[in-house]
Amino acid sequence: MSVELLKEKWVGKINEVTIGATKDEGGSRVKTITIGGENTLPFMHFEGEMSRTPKIAMEIWDMKPPDWPVSLISPFEDVISSPAKWAKKCVETYKAEILFLRLQSAHPDFGNASGETVANTVKSVLEEVGVPLIIYGCGNPEKDNEILPKCTHIAKGENCLFGKATQDNYKTLTASCLADGHSIIAEAPIDVNIQKQVNILITEMGFPINKIVMDPTTGCLGYGLEYTYSVMERIRLAALGGDKILAQPFICLVGQEVWKVKEVKASSNEFPKWGDENKRGPAWEIVTCASLLLAGADLLVVRHPETMEIVKKNVEMLMKK
Amino acid sequence: MKTYKVKVYPENIEVIAKEGENLLELIRKSNIPINSVCGGEGVCGKCKVIVKSGKIDTESTTHLGRSEIQKGYVLACLVNISSDLEIEIPLESRLEEGQILLGNEKLYSKVSDFVRTESLEKKSIFKLFPLTIKLFLNLPYPSIKDNKSDLERIYREIRRYYDFPIMQTGLSVIKQIGNLLREADWKVTVTLGMRNKTTEVIQLEKGDTSCNNFGVCVDIGTTTVVAELVNLNNGEILGVKGSYNKQISYGSDVISRIVYATEKKGLDDLRNAIAENINALINSLAIESNIKLNDITSIVCAGNTTMTHLLLGIDPGYIRKEPYIPTVSFVPVIRAAEVGIKINPRGLLATLPSVASYVGGDIVGGVLASGIAESEDLSILIDMGTNGEIVLGNKDWLCSSACSAGPAFEGSGIKCGMRARNGAIEATSIDKNFEVKYSVIGNTKPHGICGSGLIDLLGELLKSKVIDRRGRINDNLSTDRIRDNRGCKEFVVVWGKDTDTGDDIVITEDDITNLIRAKAAIFAGTLIMLKKLDIPIDEVKHYYIAGAFGSHLDIEKAIFFGLLPDLPRNRFKFIGNSSLTGARQYLLSEEARDKCESIAKKMTSFELSVEPGYMEEYISALFLPHTDLELFPSVK
Repeated sequence: MSVELLKEKWVGKINEVTIGATKDEGGSRVKTITIGGENTLPFMHFEGEMSRTPKIAMEIWDMKPPDWPVSLISPFEDVISSPAKWAKKCVETYKAEILFLRLQSAHPDFGNASGETVANTVKSVLEEVGVPLIIYGCGNPEKDNEILPKCTHIAKGENCLFGKATQDNYKTLTASCLADGHSIIAEAPIDVNIQKQVNILITEMGFPINKIVMDPTTGCLGYGLEYTYSVMERIRLAALGGDKILAQPFICLVGQEVWKVKEVKASSNEFPKWGDENKRGPAWEIVTCASLLLAGADLLVVRHPETMEIVKKNVEMLMKK
Repeated sequence: MKTYKVKVYPENIEVIAKEGENLLELIRKSNIPINSVCGGEGVCGKCKVIVKSGKIDTESTTHLGRSEIQKGYVLACLVNISSDLEIEIPLESRLEEGQILLGNEKLYSKVSDFVRTESLEKKSIFKLFPLTIKLFLNLPYPSIKDNKSDLERIYREIRRYYDFPIMQTGLSVIKQIGNLLREADWKVTVTLGMRNKTTEVIQLEKGDTSCNNFGVCVDIGTTTVVAELVNLNNGEILGVKGSYNKQISYGSDVISRIVYATEKKGLDDLRNAIAENINALINSLAIESNIKLNDITSIVCAGNTTMTHLLLGIDPGYIRKEPYIPTVSFVPVIRAAEVGIKINPRGLLATLPSVASYVGGDIVGGVLASGIAESEDLSILIDMGTNGEIVLGNKDWLCSSACSAGPAFEGSGIKCGMRARNGAIEATSIDKNFEVKYSVIGNTKPHGICGSGLIDLLGELLKSKVIDRRGRINDNLSTDRIRDNRGCKEFVVVWGKDTDTGDDIVITEDDITNLIRAKAAIFAGTLIMLKKLDIPIDEVKHYYIAGAFGSHLDIEKAIFFGLLPDLPRNRFKFIGNSSLTGARQYLLSEEARDKCESIAKKMTSFELSVEPGYMEEYISALFLPHTDLELFPSVK
């Protein structure tokens, strides 16, 4: 007698979000990427459709990151002083399909660069590479409100993904993304309700819900990853259960969480038993990515080229039906 | 020990302080009203005073602005006295004193056999039978044939009117009887007190004084205290007065007061504070109605369990500790004088029974007054006090719960908040140019905004998009009513030229956050309760809202604000201060007293604070109207 598998039937479907615009679409990208669109839990191919492969973005900065360990700096040593060259290396050497540009130099503690300066950086990166771009502020809310509108403006038509909108600071970025036709990252710290509230607040300003990407990232492996995991799972279950306000893809800023912890940064001289830091760092990033993929991540932002390579393979395997 | 002189303005009082004595404690001890929410921990920043002269040693605090420090402001609780001082207590640090608290006029209808305030299907009537009655007796003269003792003679005569199985009289009264009866030519008035199932002859007066029999009922709220003077012969309400609870100086919520009572050994201070509060209210009521304190023969108090414990001077410490058990739920009728309440020295004090540590006599009174315990239909009663209580049930069962809403709806902790009295804005409307129309209790110039006015205002602010769904003020609008005040955004409701003090009446973003927290606590509590009992919200046929925060509540705006669920509007009824109404009914009718007891015995309660889903519901309610917009179809 054959056994029939019991299949979950979901009513909801995650909206698709496209990042980048080609010439025909009013931009200058060679290719665009689309994330989301699944109507089942991650990789449950027998239950539903997961038509879009989760994507991996590489993170670059508009300045030399002062606190990255040598093991992370070394792959980019030759290009790190120029964001455009850094971008080019990621695309050409490491085959990145999408880039994540962090405008850290605008932060008052990191150089306090002006809106014009960072907007020019955005422009130079857009001119140098043809992949879609995620553009992320410096993390200081006042400063971000000053610089990001200039960046959305200079990137008008390119359909970038801009971050971040939070419950306390969403109006300026939402308004400028709306005006210049970009998508937006809505960040909420491990809370289903707050995520929903941020999404509502953004859409209340007339912003289309299907241009929001949600960022639930709060910690990497060993630093509360399980909380992020379960919140993502709950958001996704709600979305598949029919909650339209939560039916948006996830972006996870893995690199940002991984490369600040001691277990990743410390050298093998300090802790000989921990092993080679050149392997340890990427491994930490890879395991965090693998977990978040299973929780529903649609777009991962990583820092190390090796992570990029291995996670890509991991995704390919998971996507096999 | 060294002592110093401290001169306090504007009272112009000089008090003597010991070396190192705390300034806040000194001010309190000297009976000068001063505000303090945290009870002297240095965390609330409410006890600001201005040092005019003298040397001060104080800790630094984030509660004072630069300009305030330059003007000599300090927090009284952080000052230990080490020199002679001259200080001024500014207006903002003062507790206002008793003023008339207006309520729902319907509650104060003057009828002889009093009618239930809000009954469900038909008006139900309790028979008038007050806690203390006066009865004129024209006793037959004793003779050799009719030779019963004086006291037996009185009992026999009383029994011609009332069927009291057990009667008793105190020795001090008995001692007076012999002479008094004869001097009065056997025409006397007895005052009879109903002490549970025993009837006590409380006093004997010469002649017929039966028309002078009055009682007082009091709602002891954590934040406000309201008292009514009632004619016990016909149930007529002669006056009502309210004030902020004086215990606020020792902490704004029940927990900080319990801590003050136990850990700081302040039980006596707290008991004195509430007794003084009640005495002041009774005094001014008596003067206004021109009656003697001696003719007030009974008083009934309704308060939450902690307030009741504090009034009676019972250690409330165990209420706060797991598993949260109060010392007493059903308090016997005692003499009011025992707790320092000044009415007739032999007058009686009754307190409404409570259910649990956080479900007190106030809510039992509310259930009694609303009549939900007699209806077939399922009803909800919400008392929006500092401790918000929720009761769900019908004539067969009652379930209650309490959630800490805070004093925002009572106007406390809100920059321009005030109690519902003359000068309070109670309704507003905002037009497309952000101009505000408002109505004021008493039709005077506005002084501040009361609870119902705040709820109303928030609905309007949201509707006109001055605030977003998180309660943040939108500063991109073209109106000068929105402005930044030292980093906190505010909306000007009334310009200074139109107010009674000349200062602008504003609502700040912090105020809005406080109000949203309060409504979220109540709404989340309601949802959890319904979920726990597995009742769809639509099955609730009547929704009673009680509270001492206004004389009217705009239901539509309260739903828009997310305070009340989105149900057909005719299911809602605002019943005002139901705790006070319940206390009055308890004072006036034996039937009501029996009913009250059965309600308290029948009602079950559960702890929201240990409910795992509560926090989740609370967060989703911290949004206007709610994170789950599906719950508010008519608001979308």
